[in-house]
Amino acid sequence: MTPHIDPITLEVIRNALSAAAEEMSLVVMRSARSPLLREAGDLSSAITDADGFLVAQGRDVPMHMGVMSFTVREFLKRVPKDRLAAGDVWLLNLPEVGGNHLPDVKAIRPVFIDGVIRGFAVSLAHWADTGGAVPGSYVPNATDAWAEGLRIPPLRVFTADGIDREKLDIILCNVRSPEERKGDILAQMAATRAADERLHQLFARHGTETTLAAIAAIHDRAEAQMRSAIRDIPNGVYRGEDWLDDDAGGGGPVGVRVKVTIAGDAAEFDFTGTDDAARGPLNTTPFITAASVFYVMKALFGPDIQPSGGCYRPMRVITRPGSLLEPGIERPVVGGNHETSQRIADAIFKAFEPVCAERLSAGGATTSGLLLFGGRRADGVWTTLYETHGGGEGARIDRDGADVIRVHMSNVMNTPAEVIEAEYPLRIDCQRLRQGSGGAGRHKGGMGTHREYRIMTDDMSVTSMFERRVIPPYGLRGGHDGQAFAVNVVRAQGTTETMTGKTNMRLNTDDVVVVQSCGGGGYGTPEEIDDPDRKGKSHET
Amino acid sequence: MGNGWQVGIDIGGTFTDIVASHPETGNTRAAKVATRVDDRVAGVLAALGAVSLDWAQVDDLILGTTMVTNAIVENDLAQVALITTRGFGDTLAIGRQNRRHLYRLDLPPKATPQVPPARRFEVTERLDHRGEVLTPLDMGSVMAVLDQVAATGVRAVAVSLLHSYTDPTHEEALATHLRKRFDFVALSSQVNPEAREYERTATTVLSASVMPLAAGHLDRLDAIKPAHSRLHLFHSAGGMAAPSVLRDLPLGLAMSGPAAGVAAAGHVADALGIDQALSFDMGGTTTDVCLIRDGQAAVTSNRTLGDRPMRQPMVAVDSIGAGGGSIARLDHGALVVGPQSAGADPGPACYGKGGTQATVSDANVVLGYLDAGRALGGDLRLDANAARRAIAPLAANMDMTVEQAALGIVRVANAAMTRALGRITVEQGIDGRACTLLAFGGAGPMHAVDVAKEFGISRVIIPRFSSMFSALGCVSAQMRYTRQQTLRMASTDWDARRLNNVRDALRTRLGEHLAEPLKARDQSTSTITIDEVALIRYRGQSYAIEVPDPDFEDRTALGAAFQALHNKLYGFATDEPWELESLRMVASLPKPPETTGTFATQPSERTGGQTTPCPIKSTPCWFAQANASQANASQTGPLDTPRHDRASLPVGQPLPGPLVVEDAFSTIIVPPGATLTPDRNGHLLIDTGLIDTGTTT
Repeated sequence: MTPHIDPITLEVIRNALSAAAEEMSLVVMRSARSPLLREAGDLSSAITDADGFLVAQGRDVPMHMGVMSFTVREFLKRVPKDRLAAGDVWLLNLPEVGGNHLPDVKAIRPVFIDGVIRGFAVSLAHWADTGGAVPGSYVPNATDAWAEGLRIPPLRVFTADGIDREKLDIILCNVRSPEERKGDILAQMAATRAADERLHQLFARHGTETTLAAIAAIHDRAEAQMRSAIRDIPNGVYRGEDWLDDDAGGGGPVGVRVKVTIAGDAAEFDFTGTDDAARGPLNTTPFITAASVFYVMKALFGPDIQPSGGCYRPMRVITRPGSLLEPGIERPVVGGNHETSQRIADAIFKAFEPVCAERLSAGGATTSGLLLFGGRRADGVWTTLYETHGGGEGARIDRDGADVIRVHMSNVMNTPAEVIEAEYPLRIDCQRLRQGSGGAGRHKGGMGTHREYRIMTDDMSVTSMFERRVIPPYGLRGGHDGQAFAVNVVRAQGTTETMTGKTNMRLNTDDVVVVQSCGGGGYGTPEEIDDPDRKGKSHET
Repeated sequence: MGNGWQVGIDIGGTFTDIVASHPETGNTRAAKVATRVDDRVAGVLAALGAVSLDWAQVDDLILGTTMVTNAIVENDLAQVALITTRGFGDTLAIGRQNRRHLYRLDLPPKATPQVPPARRFEVTERLDHRGEVLTPLDMGSVMAVLDQVAATGVRAVAVSLLHSYTDPTHEEALATHLRKRFDFVALSSQVNPEAREYERTATTVLSASVMPLAAGHLDRLDAIKPAHSRLHLFHSAGGMAAPSVLRDLPLGLAMSGPAAGVAAAGHVADALGIDQALSFDMGGTTTDVCLIRDGQAAVTSNRTLGDRPMRQPMVAVDSIGAGGGSIARLDHGALVVGPQSAGADPGPACYGKGGTQATVSDANVVLGYLDAGRALGGDLRLDANAARRAIAPLAANMDMTVEQAALGIVRVANAAMTRALGRITVEQGIDGRACTLLAFGGAGPMHAVDVAKEFGISRVIIPRFSSMFSALGCVSAQMRYTRQQTLRMASTDWDARRLNNVRDALRTRLGEHLAEPLKARDQSTSTITIDEVALIRYRGQSYAIEVPDPDFEDRTALGAAFQALHNKLYGFATDEPWELESLRMVASLPKPPETTGTFATQPSERTGGQTTPCPIKSTPCWFAQANASQANASQTGPLDTPRHDRASLPVGQPLPGPLVVEDAFSTIIVPPGATLTPDRNGHLLIDTGLIDTGTTT
């Protein structure tokens, strides 16, 4: 039984914990070296209790937050607490240890107060390179996990005495742009250090007993919030499915299927019916699956639910060993993180259509639209631009979808043309809205983007990892589908080649990559439009 | 000439405050009048009247105004046409592609672009990131666009060409033609010469859209101003500026009011020898906090105002959605306060205007802090019963007394403010507990001591004129301009000539801003002080660290200064190459003479004597028990608490809490354990009674 805590002290301590997690993200964004962290914000921060259950997070990427609900718990299964010491910072990127894919490296610091572990600070950062066959560590033709780059098991890289040079060197020798990676590691260390300091202040201010009681109450409160959200959903069994364009290994579409069972204040999400593991790197982990479940529940039924270990208590997530969502450690996973996670969310959204169509958005740009450009700058410096491309938001019952936006599991920003041209051997010929790409409907889907990258060096590696190229974003309630994602390469000599969703190409000076991201689906039939002026008129922003 | 009066006026949303000082005689007057939203110029005259002055008696009038702020927040903006580089007309609509709300599908994920497609135009031209011309400006395309722009009927045009921060030539060539046909032209290379096209474009468009409003206001003031009297405005980066400069760059007024309050706090900190202070200004719906070091407010260059991104140097005031009107509710076992606010109408339940939800102000009434019998800002009288009725259901749900619940509401609101104090100090690498809290504004002095204690601060100051503090900031303002420019110069690829060219150009432009006031005062340019801040980062980082007074002659020393600061902020530094990302230059004229007279009595008496001093009485007030971490552990009864009139406080005599001090417009709470000492300048110094400030961890 947890000791009693009053609602006021609970809120005061919850505020302080959230502030500490937000401070961590700020430290990483400000001090990190790679554009992916500082420009695009592909990072997240969390504070857990002594057993690894999440108690606070920064305002970060939904996908990461779900995953970090499991990271420390799985870490502790590999590293018993008696091996941890004050001042430690451990790095970890194994997908099977509470993870998602190799580029998302977690820095974990146990927080000791008076000699006892009272919590953990976790800084997750997407490294622009973790080794492997191609720059950016997105190996589109990988068929096993080892091809994807450096696999870091729980590894103590910092102790109270400082950095462990040999371990750091092992990491830096296996990644591209080692200096930039070192900067990222130091930034993540600095973030956990800031959280450590804040937790010490918090425990000193409120006392150990009260602070621990507050943490227990945070879990209980999140559980109560989630249970009340589930109670509002009619009891029943709901099914949904969505499809990946292909298996990234030459095969056709791969299905994600969910059976949701709502019974009172508990919910079960059974993904047993999902297809077998993909040949290519679109597999993902049960942790990502749970992250998507949590995202959909929060977005549809309880936006105010506090993210905490307690949220998961009323929910059961079942995945099948050997399937796309629990492929075993040998399978490649790099794209599953942001592509398959979106398919999982779409499948759950569709399952809930019978009970809450009025709350759903039509299909949106549920893909990272990722391109990685790796090449040498004129000054000899090796660079990798990791660029995501938002697209149209799906329309809703009462409004059109927004143009060029990130939806659902991710919220990573774009890199401005003026930054790209200053730092990479690339020129942006134009960036526009992709006219006509939103699906028609009573409300229209948002437009995608049209951006052209001119290559300014020879032998540049360009890797793609995007979805919704074959299967477009879906319309809802009679709304039309949005236009599918399309990337074309116009060679300097004038020929045009299609770039598929999971591939790598070598490009040369004055080749131009034309990115056209997908539009959102429409909501309701176009005929439902009452106002004749609106019908058929081009989308106005 | 007039007869020597210096006047500061702050036109806020509800009240217009005025502080007038006569440096030769040490005479000071202050007043508060209702803001006339319909006619702000008439409001200026009314404020002067309230301190029995005629504009003709005034030498310098410095105006702070929320006019531009309100126009932006309320989206009351002029229509603008936008001209961009060919291929980039949609940059404004694309933005940075991130959504505002992670889990709110129902809300629009980003703001509608300020300029619709029909008013976005493109011209043929192109620079690269070094400012090299890849495609010259095609005059044929310019002429075609001019006619199309004219056809839209706009008066204001924004120009934002790619990489124009490196070279404004193309934008200026366009402006030459535009100015012949349009009243208002904003160039991105002038408004915000920094990289990242979306932020620069959005800032330039926003600037263009408030130009007509600002110009109209300034014209009207100019028309009625006596010829010999000088008019200045308080600008967002802290300092006063000439109307002619703000006519071209009106976004300089976007943070005018808060900047003036923060400047006054800086003045007080300076005068009292406080090197690190936090300003704390709590109002009805928001609380503004800002870090002040060595008398200067921290500066930021990015913020959003009413959903619109705005990038230019301005005081780093952090606004949080917690104020007197913030609504308290129970959410699954936690007491949550704000961000919903009861606003001005109906307002908190205690206003008696039909509000029924419990607010922070209602809690302050229940606790006996706000005296229910008193008039508050005009004809408003507080209804203590309504406040109790609003809090009673919450108290019942928490199984507490109404007073315990009220203490809880205050404590949770204070926690949100404490969090904001943490954020702004952490960003600057400061241990906030070593700072002094300077509290002002309507509700700031009521919460200040508790907030300070919660955060670990041991000293609070309620400065003189605390309830009209922005006006004081105006009257004591310094003529000061700030500009910032992107450089991106690597330590390994140093170009001293380019650096000097940029410094010369910045100095020239800032000098132009100061030319008019210098001439008006018969001063030579030798009185101008130039301060530089180098914004340096490691190559590959985006956030630069501010290195003050950079030594550009000694690059090794500059690098060392940067590394030392980096280590202090993040706990590490390396010997890698670094980059001078931008340069910020501040040009200022000497500070005006201090307006400190001796204050044996309270400023409100000087408004004309209509306020009679309150009789000293005692009323029951409830306080949280010292060091109580559980609300249930609060004491069981109220304390008999004396209430003092601020004007009657004896100088230099320490008064132990609990006590309440009131002036015409605000209430100061000194809880048990804290001690208040009025100083001879009218400031109230409060020792919060914290034994250990715990500055080490």
